[in-house]
This record gives sequence, C-alpha cells and structure tokens, in this order.
Amino acid sequence: MTGGPVTGRFVLAALLVGLGPALGPGPGAAAARTVYVASQGAGTLVALAADATEAGAPLPVGRSPAQVVAGPEGRLYLTHPDTGTITVVGGADGSIRQTYSVPGQPFGIATSPDGAHLYVGDWAGHRVMRLSARTGALEGAVAVGREPAGLVLDRNGTLYVADRESRQVSVVDARTMTRKATIAVGTGPFALALNPARDRLYVANVRSGDVSVIDTVARRVVATFTVGGMPYGVAVSPDGGRIYVTDQRGGNLVVLDAEDGALRATVPVGRYPEGVAITGQQAYVANWFSDSVSVVDLRSLRETVRIAVPDGPRSLTVVPEDER
Amino acid sequence: MRLGVPALVLILLSGAALAHGPTPQKVDQSIVIAAKPDAVWKVVGEFAGIGTWHPDVARSEGSGGNASGGQRKVTLKAGGTLNEGLDEMNAAGRSYSYRLTDPDLKALPVSSYSATLTVSPEGDGARVEWFGRFYRGDTGNEPPDDLNDEAGRTAMNRYFAEGLKGLKAKVEGKAAP
Repeated sequence: MTGGPVTGRFVLAALLVGLGPALGPGPGAAAARTVYVASQGAGTLVALAADATEAGAPLPVGRSPAQVVAGPEGRLYLTHPDTGTITVVGGADGSIRQTYSVPGQPFGIATSPDGAHLYVGDWAGHRVMRLSARTGALEGAVAVGREPAGLVLDRNGTLYVADRESRQVSVVDARTMTRKATIAVGTGPFALALNPARDRLYVANVRSGDVSVIDTVARRVVATFTVGGMPYGVAVSPDGGRIYVTDQRGGNLVVLDAEDGALRATVPVGRYPEGVAITGQQAYVANWFSDSVSVVDLRSLRETVRIAVPDGPRSLTVVPEDER
Repeated sequence: MRLGVPALVLILLSGAALAHGPTPQKVDQSIVIAAKPDAVWKVVGEFAGIGTWHPDVARSEGSGGNASGGQRKVTLKAGGTLNEGLDEMNAAGRSYSYRLTDPDLKALPVSSYSATLTVSPEGDGARVEWFGRFYRGDTGNEPPDDLNDEAGRTAMNRYFAEGLKGLKAKVEGKAAP
C-alpha cells in the first residue's frame, strides 16, 4: 500500500500514514498485514505495520476498549464493557464509523464470516448477544455460563464461548442462537483458539494454569496441557503444530507442541501479557502492564522488538493484506 | 485461624465469583534500599511476615507455609482484613506472586487483585518492585465514588508505597515511620 490515493477497501492504515511519516505502514513497505492493538487504559487503537518498530498514531476510540476483532472489508469492532458500547472503525474515512449502545457489559466479540452479524458476550449478563453488524440492533441472545470471556466462531456457524466462572465452554449454534452443549474445562477459562483444521479448540484456563484441548467433533476434552502461572491468551501456529500461550504471572509467551503439550520454549515478554496473535513467522503479544507489544520470532523463539503502545493493551488483531 | 480444606475451597470459590469486572487497573510502586538484595529478601521474602515491615499492618498470621498455596491473614490497623494466597514463591529469583482470596472493602476498596513483589540488585543496594492488577470495589457500570477505579488506584498505590517505605526503614535500621 502507498500513502497516495486510497485504492484498497481498508483505509485506516492509509489514514494513519497521512498523520505522520513514522506511523502506520510506510510507502513501499511490503506490508503483508497490519496488527491493530486496543489499549483499555488509554482508550485508543494503534496500527503496527509489518516490520515497524513504532506504533502508528493513536486513534481515540472511546473509553476502555477491552477487545478488538477484525471483520470483513477491514472493519474493526471494539467492545467497551464499562460504557456498554461497541465502536466500529474503518470504512471510507478510516476513523470511528459508528458507536452502538448495547445492553449489559459487552466483552468478548466475534464476527460472522459474511460480516452481517456480531456475536458479543455480556460479561455481567451471562449471555451472548447477536447484533446486526450494520446497525448494532439486538437480533437475539442465548444464555451461557457465568462471565463469558473469549468467543470464537467457526466458519461452519458454531460459536464457542469461554464461561469463565462456570469452568466450561458453551457450544452455540450461531444461526439459531441455541446452546447445543457445554464442555467442562479447567478453572477460569478465558481465551480460546481454533486450530486451522478446526478440529481442536484450545482453552486457556487462568486459574488452573493449563490449556484444555477440545475435540470439536466429539465435543469433549481430549487433553490438558500444563502451562503454569496464569494463561490469559492462546493462539495456534498456521500449520497447527504449535500453540502459544501468554502467562501473566511469569510474563512469558509459552510455546507448546500442539500434539502432546510438550514445552518447546518459554519466551520472556512484558508484564501481564494477555492477547496474542500470529502472523507469518511472528507472534505479537500485548503486554497489558508494560504498555507494549512484544514481537516474537517463531523460528528463533526470541523477542525481536518491543513496541511502545498507549496505556493498557489487552487485545490485538491481524488484518491481512487481502482484506484491504 | 486454621482453615480446613473445605473452608478454604469455599473461600476461594466465593472470592472468585463475580470478583472480576472487565476493566483491570494497575498498581505500581518501587523503592531503592541501601542494603544487599539478600538482606532485603530475608525480611520481605517471608510471605506471612508482612506485619514486621508494613506500617499499616497490625498483624499477619500465616498458614500453609511459604510456598505456593500458603496463606496470610493480614489485619490492618485502620480496620479490615486481607486474606491473601501465595501463587508462586521464587526464592532464587527473590520474587513472589500472590492474590486476594476474598475482598474486604473496609481494608481496600477493590474486589480482587494479583500482585508480585521482586527484589533485584541496584548499584550497591537493592530495588524492590511491588506491582499488580486489581479491579475496582464495585465492578458494575455505575460504581459509587468510594468504589470506583480512581478510589482503587489511590488506595492500592498508597498501601504499596507506604509498605515499601516501611520496608526500607526496617532494613536500613531506622525507626519505622
């Protein structure tokens, strides 16, 4: 992408380039993707271009964004549990496109593949809502366990919900908004990640310090991998062979073999790391306490750069080039 | 007080339930002490020994040892009790991590926290870092002023800062403030 006339569908990054030379993907950069980081304390979103060592200019998005997710056409959706709102970023002017007021405390979020719907956990309401992505209107809801945290939507229309205080994952049919199953996991399930084959769901359990491995066809736990500490985020390598877990107590990215849970590496990052996203041969880790993002090279299993971001980053998401 | 396992489980459960609002807050304090890190650790590394150095603490009673799973019951001079559990003790690294097991809004206006205390070399002396994450006392979306984020930040930072000042005074052999 260049700093010239906007030709892609996703233009936030282009706008950020216009705000300053060191911000966003620079002209001529071979940007395969951009990582966006939501900072809960600062109330901002920043873009991290591929290979950048500095964040783009912060975009104010309203108070206390907890989670950010990328939808089709490069749109980003952020939840604000403290204010009961969802903000939509992107589109023609690359700024705040819309702010939706929604019931309860919206926290975890997923988008439907066609971009028509948002699935949003209501933390204090112990349910998941389906909203129109275009208007924010409530289309339906389904009761889940207590304090729904992470959500992930399989492209076959199955929604998985980490019910943090119920020690279970709820399995929801996203089309009918009915709960099909609950699967008992460890204590304090918080984050979820599907493998590329979509036959395994990895569940980071904050309080029991482990990862539950769910067979998504049989809908049962087939293994439990010990991590230690407080696992708050989880991601899977593109080939499905490794899983990456943030440990908030130790301040580490823990790398496990997806097959047997064997420890492959413990990579020191910042303090209280939470969100983790994989792109190419890099893991991006949001260090909530340290106000930074660690970039970890997945071949050397070392942190290669630590990028300062505004106060309290918890969540990040990758927007690939072909979405722009 | 000695807690049987069933009582302990109940406390852990009650502490976990609804303890977490969605917006965490930071507490972050540090101090430099004119003493070797090992000398500082000798004082601060005993989890239940906080009563010997924290000026706000009337008394502290431990159970379960100085390892993961150990507990301390900290009674404050100003009133209120903090029941805290040790998550990890790393004596070699001069660091420990712990959490509040059940809130007492009289003691601190917060619903939950986890924290880490670390002693590291700094010049000829030691630096003690005491930091953590907490949630405000009322995790609903309309908290009263005395249970909001700002009240939590003020109280937690003050409690940590006063503790470190007391630790410094004790280790350096001066009268407790």
